[in-house]
Amino acid sequence: MKYINFEQINDMKPLKLLAMFLIPMGLIIAAVPQNKTNPYKLTADELLNEVNTRNQFLAPDAVADMLVKKDPSLRLIDVRSQEEFEKYSLPGAINIPIANLLSPDYTDILNQETKMNVFYSNGTLTANEAWMITRQLGYNNNYVLEGGLNYWFENILNPRQPSSTSPDEEFAKYDFRKSAGQALGGGGLSAQQASDNQAGAAAKPSVKPAAKKKKAAGGC
Amino acid sequence: MGPLAPNEIISENTNFLLAFFIGIAFGWVLESSGFSSSRKLAGIFYGYDAVVLKVFFTGAITAMLGLLFMSLFGWIDLDLVYVNPTYLTSAIIGGVIMGAGFIMGGFCPGTSFCGAAIGKIDAMVFIGGLFIGVYGFAFTYPWWEKMYMAKYLGEPKISTTLGMSDGMFGLLLIIAALGMFFVAEWAEKKFPREAY
Repeated sequence: MKYINFEQINDMKPLKLLAMFLIPMGLIIAAVPQNKTNPYKLTADELLNEVNTRNQFLAPDAVADMLVKKDPSLRLIDVRSQEEFEKYSLPGAINIPIANLLSPDYTDILNQETKMNVFYSNGTLTANEAWMITRQLGYNNNYVLEGGLNYWFENILNPRQPSSTSPDEEFAKYDFRKSAGQALGGGGLSAQQASDNQAGAAAKPSVKPAAKKKKAAGGC
Repeated sequence: MGPLAPNEIISENTNFLLAFFIGIAFGWVLESSGFSSSRKLAGIFYGYDAVVLKVFFTGAITAMLGLLFMSLFGWIDLDLVYVNPTYLTSAIIGGVIMGAGFIMGGFCPGTSFCGAAIGKIDAMVFIGGLFIGVYGFAFTYPWWEKMYMAKYLGEPKISTTLGMSDGMFGLLLIIAALGMFFVAEWAEKKFPREAY
């Protein structure tokens, strides 16, 4: 059996030594497939923290208010299938079926710092899944419509009149929902004209203008 | 994980501090490789000394292998690493000017500071010329702007242009570099110079 003779290595020309190191490394890197994975940016702990705050959920009233006021920063994203989207969608919504969420066509829409993206689905589940995935990829400014379309139908488009013993806020909320529902094509057609919409002014999270990721410049 | 600054793992200021230390290390390596001597540097054009080719190409290949392996291990996102945008016309013209200046002056911009740091007068004169060029270009920029911005190609990579993986191109580059080193060492023997 032959042992490595270090004197022999010392006597070797630098070029040979370099080749002995570089060529195997080159062979390895040429043979392995390229790493094209899209890595998660948040750790499990960080995501759990964010999930616990439930800050991603937007109250339907806040969204309805923005819709009625035609807030340009709002972008509704329907994560249901294209069929369902064509049957019914919220005004101005765009369709990104959850199956295509990671398609590069949509990266510019989902990973941006100017608009407020609000995912919605029938319930909350699918929209929240979309939020979790985009959040783990490190994207900001994505939110979830709380309660989804089901809640939206029941409470924004067809609000129930509160009982006469309810507190004033309930009535204010009802009035706002009714007017918003009418403006957004709902069925609440009873005659009374609602005047104010205090409830709609529910806190709306502002878009964080975080610095766009800059590539580091370099030079010789 | 990486790159550290774009992913905001380190602040912009920390980034500059790291660059400062890396710069000092770079200068030290240049000096200890003999890059502060214009005669040694110019040797690459006459064949008697190929240290420029060897040091810079070894550096480039080492960095390339490092980046490719770090990307493989998921340590760095190569999409966030800056690639110089290519303006073909100005790249060719700039390359010719830089090459001519290198042959005549015996320095490239980085090595001239290296030479000046150890008191070489020719390096200081070179730096003077460098500043005249920089200011001359800046003040007459409107004259050149159209040519400067011509033939914009984006950020092309040779590997994607040739339709091969980055790793495959890396291997070819390593083989090409070793071939060049071999030729360079042959040239050093063929065109020797006694003292320079």
